[in-house]
Formats: sequence, structure tokens, C-alpha cells
Amino acid sequence: MSLTLFHRHVLEDYLSDFGTKANPNHLAVIRRPAIFSVLAHRGHDASVENELKSVEGIDVRDCAPGEWLVVSTSAGAAAIENLLADIAGASIVDQSDGRALLRVHGPNVRKILAKCVAVDLHPDSFPIGTSANMLCCHVAVNLARTGADTFEIAVPRSFCGSVFEEVMEMGREFALTAAFADS
Amino acid sequence: MTSYRLASAGSVNRGQPLTFTFDGKSYKGFEGDSLASALLANDQMLMGRSFKYHRPRGPVTAGSSEPNALMTIGSGARAEPNVRATVAELYDGLAAVSQNRWPSLAFDVGAVNGLLSPMLGAGFYYKTFMWPAALWEKLYEPVIRRAAGLGKLAMQADPDRYEKSWAHCDLLVIGSGPAGLMAALAAGRAGARVILADEGFRLGGSLLSESASVGGVSAADFASAMIEELEALPNVTLMPRATVFGWYDDMVFGAVERVQKHVGTPSPDLPMERLWRIAARRAILATGSEERPLVFGGNDKPGVMTASAMRTYANRYGVAAGGKVAIFTNGGSGYRTAADLVAAGVDVTAIIDARVQSADAVPGGVRVIRNGGVVGTKGRKRLEALIAERSGFQEQITCDALAMAGGWSPIVHLMCQRGAKPVWSDEAQAFLAPDVGSAFIAVGSAAGADTISTCLKEGATKAMMLARDLGFAAYEMNIPEVEGEYDPAFAPVWYVPGARDKAFVDFQNDVAVSDLGLAQREGFRHIEHTKRYTTAGMATDQGKLGNVATIGIVAGMRGVSPAEIGTTTFRPFYTPVSFGALAGTSRGEHAAPVRTSPLHDWAKKNGATFVEAGVWHRSAWFSREGEKGWRDSVDREVQNVRRNAGLCDVSTLGKIEIFGKGAAEFLNRIYCNNFLKLPVGKARYGLMLREDGMIFDDGTTSRFSEHHYVMTTTTAYAAEVMAHLEFASQTFWPDLDVRFVSVSDQWAQMSLAGPRARTIMSRVVEDDISDAAFPYLAAKTVTLRGGLKARLFRISFSGELAYELAVPAGYGEAVADAIMEAGRDEGICAYGVEALNVLRIEKGFITHSEIDGRTTPDDLGLGRMMALQKPDFIGKRMSTRFGLTAADRLQLVGLRPLEKLEEFSAGAHLLKEDATPSMANDQGWVSSTCHSPTLGHTIGLAMLRSGRERYGETIVVWDGLHGREVLAQVCPPVFVDPENRKLQG
Amino acid sequence: MASLITCPHCGTRPKEEFSIRGTALTRPHPAASEEDWHRYVYLRDNPKGRYQEYWHHAAGCRRWLVVDRDNVTHDVFSVTDAAPARGASE
Repeated sequence: MSLTLFHRHVLEDYLSDFGTKANPNHLAVIRRPAIFSVLAHRGHDASVENELKSVEGIDVRDCAPGEWLVVSTSAGAAAIENLLADIAGASIVDQSDGRALLRVHGPNVRKILAKCVAVDLHPDSFPIGTSANMLCCHVAVNLARTGADTFEIAVPRSFCGSVFEEVMEMGREFALTAAFADS
Repeated sequence: MTSYRLASAGSVNRGQPLTFTFDGKSYKGFEGDSLASALLANDQMLMGRSFKYHRPRGPVTAGSSEPNALMTIGSGARAEPNVRATVAELYDGLAAVSQNRWPSLAFDVGAVNGLLSPMLGAGFYYKTFMWPAALWEKLYEPVIRRAAGLGKLAMQADPDRYEKSWAHCDLLVIGSGPAGLMAALAAGRAGARVILADEGFRLGGSLLSESASVGGVSAADFASAMIEELEALPNVTLMPRATVFGWYDDMVFGAVERVQKHVGTPSPDLPMERLWRIAARRAILATGSEERPLVFGGNDKPGVMTASAMRTYANRYGVAAGGKVAIFTNGGSGYRTAADLVAAGVDVTAIIDARVQSADAVPGGVRVIRNGGVVGTKGRKRLEALIAERSGFQEQITCDALAMAGGWSPIVHLMCQRGAKPVWSDEAQAFLAPDVGSAFIAVGSAAGADTISTCLKEGATKAMMLARDLGFAAYEMNIPEVEGEYDPAFAPVWYVPGARDKAFVDFQNDVAVSDLGLAQREGFRHIEHTKRYTTAGMATDQGKLGNVATIGIVAGMRGVSPAEIGTTTFRPFYTPVSFGALAGTSRGEHAAPVRTSPLHDWAKKNGATFVEAGVWHRSAWFSREGEKGWRDSVDREVQNVRRNAGLCDVSTLGKIEIFGKGAAEFLNRIYCNNFLKLPVGKARYGLMLREDGMIFDDGTTSRFSEHHYVMTTTTAYAAEVMAHLEFASQTFWPDLDVRFVSVSDQWAQMSLAGPRARTIMSRVVEDDISDAAFPYLAAKTVTLRGGLKARLFRISFSGELAYELAVPAGYGEAVADAIMEAGRDEGICAYGVEALNVLRIEKGFITHSEIDGRTTPDDLGLGRMMALQKPDFIGKRMSTRFGLTAADRLQLVGLRPLEKLEEFSAGAHLLKEDATPSMANDQGWVSSTCHSPTLGHTIGLAMLRSGRERYGETIVVWDGLHGREVLAQVCPPVFVDPENRKLQG
Repeated sequence: MASLITCPHCGTRPKEEFSIRGTALTRPHPAASEEDWHRYVYLRDNPKGRYQEYWHHAAGCRRWLVVDRDNVTHDVFSVTDAAPARGASE
């Protein structure tokens, strides 16, 4: 007997009510990102970080000294695992199913996120390329600025419904829409 | 009805009339009116009744310090009590209702209090409602509660949305008068990120109310031009309708923005109010100053208000406070009011000046009574005349409004909220802002400045100072010329003696000078005691108008300086803040974030009822048709697991991935039992202790490779265990190479338990899972049929042959479905945490009911796990103390009732037979109970003194809460399969 | 409403992101005297004023920090990683 197992996104039911037409302020849910925790072992913080920076096709998000989230929206988890496996002095853990990736974009994105996080997201203090762990709607997430008006939030799966609903509520004022990125 | 709307003055939009109602009657106002100004324009001076005596009252201010004109605005669920009409922005369709009166505002039965008022002095309630004590709860409290209170809450759920937002800035400017506007513009032009917040619905502060001209245009036009420029600066955020109510640690300010309070039909996409937390690097207090009322007999008649309020009504709203106005003053403000009113065509009958002489210009034709005072007023629902006195000669002067100019008090509330006290200045005859450091400074009249030109200059220079301090280049500001300003200097007059009627210092609480005297005579001399005894300075206005007079008068009574009396304590909030704003979105089912398992939908479609366990929603039991209650479902699930098989969601367990060369040594120090030699491919049950020797948490840790472990924790302690590991690794043993990361969310984990578990699991897993190949406590990565990688553990919390299977969360539902399908002909069922609990109690497995912070491994019969030969582990050193090893400690036992039908509950205490219930006789307590469908009666786990020596003894299970006593037999804490044959089968 | 702590790794954050464990004490040697262990586990000075505490940046970098502050005024003098050797080579 062979099993055919379907993968289910945690927000599958949440998004069924939303139209596919994206407003200027829009939340895109990345359906199957590859997300890995990378942990540097003692004495390897700098070397692991340097190696990570040289890997192409991945985004590296800062979590803590010697800890990163590696994110890829193009390659699958298996491919990313291969890319990271040879980094000396690092341990890697697949978190692709443990985090949902929400991409919030639009002219009012900072005003929306100011209702979700306490961190100052002004470009002078949180420029493009910055990322950090922080509380977002009472939940510890990793938030990254990927563009002038674009942020990506990696949310623990079990809290994702709660965080998603809250971000959407905070976005009502600016007609925030949401959909899977591939639909 | 007379119209008091002036022909042309003011900046209300006369092209935009608005209709509103007050006590059901319809009125007209204009866009830009406050509710109070619109009512005054319609000859409605009577706006409320006082709290204690129900005396008729009109507005005494035009701003947020208003004590009298409190109303309920809105209806149904949106009815909001105690809104100050003086700051409520008029909108079309606004419906306001007066409060604290019955049956009507004009005729109030409660005003009988007024006749009895000599009896109702300070402390009346304390003195009167003391004996007999039996009446406190039955009579006094309900009666007092009915009589007391301001306004009535709508008892329906609030239909509106509220939200919270953070804001960050270099400079927060609080107040948008002349000083605030200049400060915001100076810092804004210098490039700083500026937030300008003002409680008013229109920015401009006192500039909107003054008749001077600034920079060649009217003060109001000057303000508009400034605001226009500020709006154009991208680094400046303007926040009208936003009251900064609190100053907190680390320069965080709290503010509430009334987003839609001025809207007839609120948009569902916007919040009603928004709570701001503003993190500011620097802040400027530009809140201006409050004009003090004067304290004289009958000073609370509707029509008596501060001079600056009267100017605001005239100059900003184009409304005359009366047709024939008198002015009682001790400084320049009274003369400026007279001049503005005369210019607007209002009849000013007299200026009564408490001073012997002054240099203030007197408008033509207005009579001045120098060295005079007002000692009484006439009229009931509106002022009709006043009694002026000079050199013992009294004179009645006809008037329908009276302006009081009693001097100025800087508004320094926010600066005093973190412990600093305002400082009395003899020169200014006022309490001034304290020095709270260089990050938060006062400017303008909040800092004691007297004229508009000083305010403009100070705002600019001090903002520049702060901007330079933050590294911004200086921007030279031109200070505009002010023409026609007046000198607001005053000579203090705390009160006018010789009054027959009450002279009020606190209007809202009806506190009169006589009450302050009583408090002094009766020993409530400290100002905090005076406040609480008389209620001066309490309720919604918190004494914004009256506190200074209270202090001045008490100082006079005691013959000391106000500096010696001091102020009462300042606390947030500056003005009342709604619970809705403070709660934000955290209400109802959004009170806390919800955590759901990857098998939530699987459980739902299998009929689960969910239970909240912390923030988790866990499947408790799975109802089937014909089952009458939860017990039916749980009993069936338990029996089916023991007989066939069941599948349970255990995804909520904490899962921690551990890596490193030091991981084995680290685990060996974390757990009290041995972990150094755990073989790869094996799981081991472990106990973690606290440093005091008590058990902290339990769980299993499996070794997947030499330097890679996976730990599971209990659901409840997942976060605590992770923090504990990090603490130990980072602070105790930073030299050990070990790293952790939580993978609790990555895996859907399910427990398949029961005699048929292997048959079913082998239909799903490709690997050989025979007992030989995959024995009890095996743990490894397996491949599911079809290719998905998963982790399989042979561990059991039910005592049955059992597996825990972990798959990537997104596949959880599909895999659980596949297992249910594979087990259909084996009689598989889904079971929830209730059945899981029964299964583990039957087997004598512990949870946090037993690991309650007071139990050692030995207490729970796990003493043999303690590896005391290890050089160190957390809890080792303290675990050998005498108290933790004494023979009479409470030990885990089982309990079964002597009579099969008897039941007992967790929490019940244990007593020897015939012992009376007392602490001395206490033998222990019941930690867990359930109905065991396997045995057919209640069973329990209990902590019993020297319990393991007492198997077979009969004991009383005493439940004082339910009034129940049950006889039970003490037995070993394992009710099912004590030889572990099923577990290892 | 709020107070802010500046994490040496993550920057300025609201106190909600942290949990406080109490006095920053050094764990005694496993063989230290019963008296030392008793003091470590049970006795605290509870001073009014300057105080060094362990704070855990639970919602951020998850590092344990030592916050040196005045518990009367909440003046924060320093925030440092509890393991200063973090990142040093083996």
C-alpha cells in the first residue's frame, strides 16, 4: 500500500473567504517556503555567517547571536538542506512546516505593522535587509524588511491563525487583502 | 429662547449647520462647535447637576478640566456617560442626555439634598452609616450606591472596535498652542521625527481663543498657517483629538486618539479610539495653563465660569456667555475678557477687581469696582445677579453671566506622574513643573511663561536645544511679532470671606470651604487626608480646577505657605480613558492568542470537543451518536484503546532539537538520571529537577545521532523547559558546546496506542517495526509508505503497546487520516486528552498534578532514577537534605473506594479513620482521580504520609468543599498491568 | 503601559518581550557547602535601588541578559549578555 499524502497549509481555511484581487495593501501567504534554523557551534558564529552570506538563492534572517533562519521561496526544502549541509560548525533544522511566511506589502504597511509590533520600523532604524525576532500580535516571530514597503513575517505555525487574523484586523483601515502568493 | 450666537466672531463654520438633541429637544449648532458652545448659543446654560447636592450647574470651563457639564452622549450600547460637553465635538445627529437628575434637569427631586446640605458635610457618610453593622450590606451600601455615582453605563457589549499602536519619534510635543506649534515646527524643520499631539479636536490650543494678532494675522489664522506648514513636512505627524494621558518608564507616553467619537455613523473599518504608546527620545510639555476659578459664596451658579472660558466661547465659537456680563478678577485676564466682550458687542456691566489698583486698560464705558469682591449670587437655574462688596458696602448687580479670573496654574500633571512633585513658586504664586531631567522639558505657559510672545520664543529655542542634543543641525526660527497681547499677571485671592451660601473649591464633588475647615478641625490635616476626607480632587476631573485652591485655602487656615502643604499625588490618567481603548482587540475570543495543533482539523472532523489548555485548544473527547455525555465518550475511548487501538493528538508536547559535542554531558547535568550512555536510536524517560531538589518536569529524550538529540517536554512546561535549558547552557556551563532550537511547531505528533497498534502502524510505515527490530523505547527516522520521512518513537503514556509518530506539520492531517483508514478494520478510534488522562491514572503515570513543585523523585516512587554518583546535576546538591529524604514524607499511592459506587475528587484530603479534620490530622491529599472504565469504579492517585508502607490501610477521603467523606483503601499506584506486559509486548 | 529594555543583540524592546528571573547570582560549585547552596537557592537581599537581575529575551534572541538597573527609578545602567564568552573560540 502506498499513501498519497496531501500537504495542507495552516491558513487554507482562512483564505477561502478572500478574493484574489489584491489591493495596494496586500498580505501574500507563501505556500511552501523552505525555512531552516541554522545554529553555529561554539567559536563558529562568524564563519557560519560568512558562509551563509555566500550561499546563493537564500535569504538569511537574524534571530540571535549564532542563530539564523534561512528562507527560500524558490527552492524546495530538500535543495536548501543540501546547500546548508556542508557548512562547517553549524547544525541545521528544517522548520519549513513549523513557520508560516507572510509577506505584507503596500503604502501603509508601516502603519499596519505599528499596530502589531513595538519595534521602530522607520527605514533609518530598520532598513531593507534588517531582520529580527520580536513580538508581533503577542507572538514571537521573525520579521524582516525585504523592500521599502515590504516585510516578511515568519510565524510559528500553531499561532499563525491568530496572528493572521490580527494583522488583517489591523489592516482593515487600509483595505488590506490577503491571498496565497501562488493563486 | 434667546440666541447667544454672536453676529460674526469665532471660527465655527457657519456654512455648515448641524442638528443635535439635548434631553430630547432639538437644537442647531455649527461645524466646529463643541457641544457646550452649541448649547450656550441656544440659551441652555444649565447642563448638569452636582454629585452630592444635585445643585444646578453650567459649564465653568471650555476645556478638559470641566467638572460640571458632564453628559451621556449616544444611545443604546453606544451610550457613553460623563462626557465633558466642553470638549465633545458637535456632529450632526449627536444626542446628549443630562445626568444626575430625576425626573428632569430643570426639576430634580434629589435637589432636596440641597436643603439638607448643612448636614451633609465632609465625612457625612463615614459618620452616619456606622451602626448597626448589620445594616452595612443590606441597607446602607445599596442606598448609597443608588444615590452615588456619576452617569450610568450602557449594560450592553460595546459594538465598536478599538486598537493599539506604537509610535516612535525624536521629539514628542504635547500641546499645540503657541509654544507647542513653534517647538514642533523648529524641530521638524531641523529634520527630527516629530509627533505633535493635542487633546483638542482642532489644533492651535489657546491661539484659537485669543484676540491678539500674531505675525500680522489673527492668532487663529497664524495657527492655521503653522499647521499647514507642519502638515507638509514628511517627518512630522500631527495628532489632533489625541490626549497624552501618561508618562511611563523609558520615555514611553500613553495617548488615546478619539478616531470616530465625532462621527455620527462610525465606519466599521476604523476603530472608535486608538491607544498609542509613543516611544520618544525627547519630549516637550506644552500643555499651557489652567485659569483658576475664584472661591466665593454661590460661585457655582450656572453662568459663572472662568474668564478664559468666556473668551473661548466668544472668540473661538462666536458665542456670548450671557447678555449682561460681570467680571470678577484679580489680574489682567478679567480686563482682556471685558475688552473682547465689548468688542463683540456684549454688555459688560462691571469689573470687580480684588486688587486696590492695577495698570490694566479698562474698555470704554465699563465700570470698575476696585478692592472689591463678590460675596453672593442670585438666581436658581441661571445667574440673575451678584452681590458685590467693597469696604463693608454691599451692592446687588444684575447680570446673567459672571467671569472669574483667579490667576493661572501651569498644567504640569504629566511631568509629575513618575514621582516628582511640582514646586511652589512664591513669585508665580503657582506650582511649577519639577525638573525631571533634560529629556522631558516644559515650555510656554506650562513652564510659567506669561505672554504669547514668550511662549512662541520658548517653544522655538527649547525645541532647537533638544534637536541639537539629538544631533540635528540648528534651524534659526523667526519669532513672529505679537500685537495686542495683555499681561496676565495676578495677585492671589484664595477665597472671599463672608459668604452666606456655600463657596465651592471642588465643583464636581461639592466640596466647599467649610468642608476643608471641618477636615482641619477633625485632624485630617495632611493634604492627602484632606483630599480623602472631603473628596476634594477626586472623580472624573481629578481636581484640575480645584486642587490649587484647596491647597491655598488649607495653607491659609494653617497660616503656612502652600509650599508647606504640598500637592497630592499625580498619577495617570490625565483624563479618563475608556476600558475599550485599554483592551484594544484583546477581548472575547481574542483575549489571548489561540494556539492550534496541526491535527486540529482532523480532530474536528472526527467529532472532537476542544478544551482550552493554556493558549492551546486541545481535543478533549470525541463524541459519537447515542452518547449522552462526555463520560460515555471517554469510557468508550479508554476501553477501545485497551482492547483495540486509539489515535491521540500529542502535537502540543514541547519538542526541542539539541545539537553539539557537549550535548550528552549537558543532558546528563540537566536530568537527574543518566544520559551519557543513551544509545543512538533510543529514547529515555528523564526527570529534571529544580535546584531545590523538587521535580521540575518530565519527558523523553531520544538520541538520533552522536551529537543530536530530540527532547519532548510536557505541554504545560514546554516554554519553561526551553528557557531552563537556555539558562543552564548560557549561565552555568557556557563552555559546553550545545545548541537548541524549538521544533514544537514543525511536527505533528500522534500517539497510536493499544494491542493492535503495531498491526496498524506497520501498514503506514515502510520500515520493520517488529518488536525485535523496534523494541520498547526505540526511536528513529522512518519512511512512510509513499516516501515521507517521519520520526517514530516507541513510547507509551497509556501502558499499552504504543508509538508516537511525528510528521511535518503540513502532512499531519493526511497521515492521521491514513492511520485511521489503516486501522478501521482493527477497530481504531480517536481519543482525546480526557481518555489519555484516565489511561495514565490507571497506569499510575504522573503529570503536573503530581509534579506540583513539592514532590521529589522518591516521593513519586522514582527514587531509583536519581544518579547521585554523577559529579553534578541540577538539584543534586539540595536533594540529599534531611527534609527531602525523611521517612514521613508524602508518597505517591493509589486509592480505591471500599464501596464501588462511591466517588471522590482530586483536592480531597486524607485522614485516618475517626480523626477529626484538622491540619494536625492531615495525612495528605488526592492529586488525580477518574472513573476507571477498566475497573468499573473511581480510582485515584494521592500523596500520603509514608504512603508506601501503608498499602492495604483504610483511609478517609475527606472533601470539605463538597461535604463528602468516602472510605478508601490505599494501594500501589498502578491499577493496570503492573508487570508492563502490554507496554513491552 | 510600557517600559523599554535595550537588548545588546536586538535593540530597544518593550518589557513584554522579556521575562525576569531575579537576582543575577553565580551557581555554587557542586561541592560547595550546604550553607552556600542554601544561600543560593533561598536567600535574596531584595535591595531597594541598584540591582542586577537575569532577564530572558524570550520573544527575541532568547539570550539570558544581566540587567543592571535601579528598581526605584527604573534607570537602566547596563544590559549585557549573561555569557560574555559567547562566540569565543574553543
